[in-house]
Amino acid sequence: MADKMSIMIVDDEKIIRESFLYWFEKYGHRVEAAASGMEALEKLEKSPFEVLFVDIKMPGMNGIELLGKVKEEYPDTTVIIITAYGSIETAVEAMKMGAADYLLKPFKPEQLSLVMEKVTQQRKLVSEYRYVKGRLEEFTRFENIIGQSPAMQEVFDLIPEVAQSDSSVLIMGETGTGKELVAKAIHAKSKRRHLPFIAINCGAIPDSLLESELFGHEKGAFTGATHPRKGFLEVVSGGTLFLDEIGEISPKMQVDLLRVLEEKKIIRIGERQAIDVDFRLISATRRDLEKEVAEGSFREDFFYRINVIMIRIPPLRQRKEDIPLLVEHFLQKYSRETVKQVDHISADAMRVLKAYDWPGNVRELENAIERAVVLSKARTLKREDFAFLRSPPEPVLKSRSLKEVEREHIQRILEDCDWNVTRASKVLGINRVTLHKMIKRHNLKRP
Amino acid sequence: MRSQKRRIAVVPLGEVPGIVPKSIAAHILGYLNVNAEVLSPLRHPDYAYDPRRLQYNAGAVLKALESHSFGRYEKVIGVLDVDLFVPIFTYVFGEAKQGGKYALVSLNRLRKGHGEGAFVPEPIYLERAAKVALHELGHLYDLHHCSDSRCLMHFSGGLEYLDRIPLYFCRYCSVFMRDALSRPRHRRSKG
Ligand SMILES: [Zn+2]
Ligand SMILES: [Zn+2]
Repeated sequence: MADKMSIMIVDDEKIIRESFLYWFEKYGHRVEAAASGMEALEKLEKSPFEVLFVDIKMPGMNGIELLGKVKEEYPDTTVIIITAYGSIETAVEAMKMGAADYLLKPFKPEQLSLVMEKVTQQRKLVSEYRYVKGRLEEFTRFENIIGQSPAMQEVFDLIPEVAQSDSSVLIMGETGTGKELVAKAIHAKSKRRHLPFIAINCGAIPDSLLESELFGHEKGAFTGATHPRKGFLEVVSGGTLFLDEIGEISPKMQVDLLRVLEEKKIIRIGERQAIDVDFRLISATRRDLEKEVAEGSFREDFFYRINVIMIRIPPLRQRKEDIPLLVEHFLQKYSRETVKQVDHISADAMRVLKAYDWPGNVRELENAIERAVVLSKARTLKREDFAFLRSPPEPVLKSRSLKEVEREHIQRILEDCDWNVTRASKVLGINRVTLHKMIKRHNLKRP
Repeated sequence: MRSQKRRIAVVPLGEVPGIVPKSIAAHILGYLNVNAEVLSPLRHPDYAYDPRRLQYNAGAVLKALESHSFGRYEKVIGVLDVDLFVPIFTYVFGEAKQGGKYALVSLNRLRKGHGEGAFVPEPIYLERAAKVALHELGHLYDLHHCSDSRCLMHFSGGLEYLDRIPLYFCRYCSVFMRDALSRPRHRRSKG
């Protein structure tokens, strides 16, 4: 998690919006602008923003009204008021309503950076607190890698092979596909298996904290560093380091880690002496890092270091034949864990589970089974027990062309029918020849 | 080898002490190993004067630079002696669009010493101008502001901050700068 923030500028004056945009681009923050309070609220509904700069005087909804709404609906958002000379009283009122600070425009550049520093510090404390809390509560419920599909068999075959070598491994797969399990399996079969396995989720940890977590620090290296502490790169001593969500780390951290991988040495924060380290690195990501390297947003040299061996875990929707096996496993697990005797599933319910797309993959399936078991009053899970799965109509559909919708629908039906064209054409109500033509036209390929 | 292909232009806008653009060009060559040439001056930016603020609008000057053709130069640094502002700020020492081609360095405030009416000796004045120029050039090569206060890319608002930052990039920013300079030319241009 890099120190970049998402910021929105709300001001009816274009030149003001633009100068803020240009300024924050220089920090690499994600910045967007809204010309009115209404537009700001619409944007907030679509994606979260950490900081809002709001002009007090705007036609329509004024800054104070917007502040009230934002504080009510998004209390975690930091709001900074921008105001011209002569409306300081309103600014003071805004502070009482929960604005974090105000700026009288035009202001000195250093005033804005002071405000941003304050905001950064505050948000850092909050996210560090959340991270530490999360770490204490965290335990992996999702325990087994299961599958007999060819795609998963390939992964299983790879694990012992990869475990033999000491090269860096990159595991690619969507959320919930079990990347950490594969990493653990590799560790368990490797010569390092009696040494520690340490997992860090780079997406959940603030950059500042990640640095001291990995490298450790000397006493007094920064405020709060009252004791020297060993970093995980040292603690792992000979074991396996698993960095999940590696795509989230900042460019600076990429430079640091690249150096460690090349030199096998680290320097604790606030220290001078280098320490030798020995570990095997396994990283994982759900992002398309190859694409990001090509675009220049992820370091190429670092990518090649972490990606000596690549393992791709297929999403659940591409290996639907594994669903019954997984369902069976989770059913047993949760009927054992709960006092309830729920150990069967109806054919109808299974069809629902097989038809669903599982964007959250195996983890979502596990959660669904757990939920159904807890709520079920009978011994057998029925179709109705999974009513919550019926996903709401996709909002993206709105902006799609007929052709795109057609393509997607055909693909979905084909997948449901395991690419049996005869069956799929019946479902679609067209003949086989037409379907073949459509497959060709849309360039659909069997996964 | 590559540094010979890259060229940076340093162009005075109106009258500026001749030694300043030369010193900036020398710093660019010395610190980044990229050739910088001082071009003959362009007109004084009176078109960018804002009578309400009694200052010059940095955005308007950048726009004027864009309309000029600096074909063989990869980046262009305009040097001027007037006081610059952007709409939200009371003043700026320099201005550049992130990842862009043109940057500005204003010398107007860089001469001031620490007391009322005091001036700094010339070497400090030149060093300040070089710091602002290299910092803005960093933005042109898409370097962001750096949180390390011992780095040229650290944002420094007032003169006391500008004097405190060193005349070099931190370890990370050096790497990012080296990366940017090793990328083939013209691959990215964000305007
Ligand atoms: Zn800057
Ligand atoms: Zn730096």
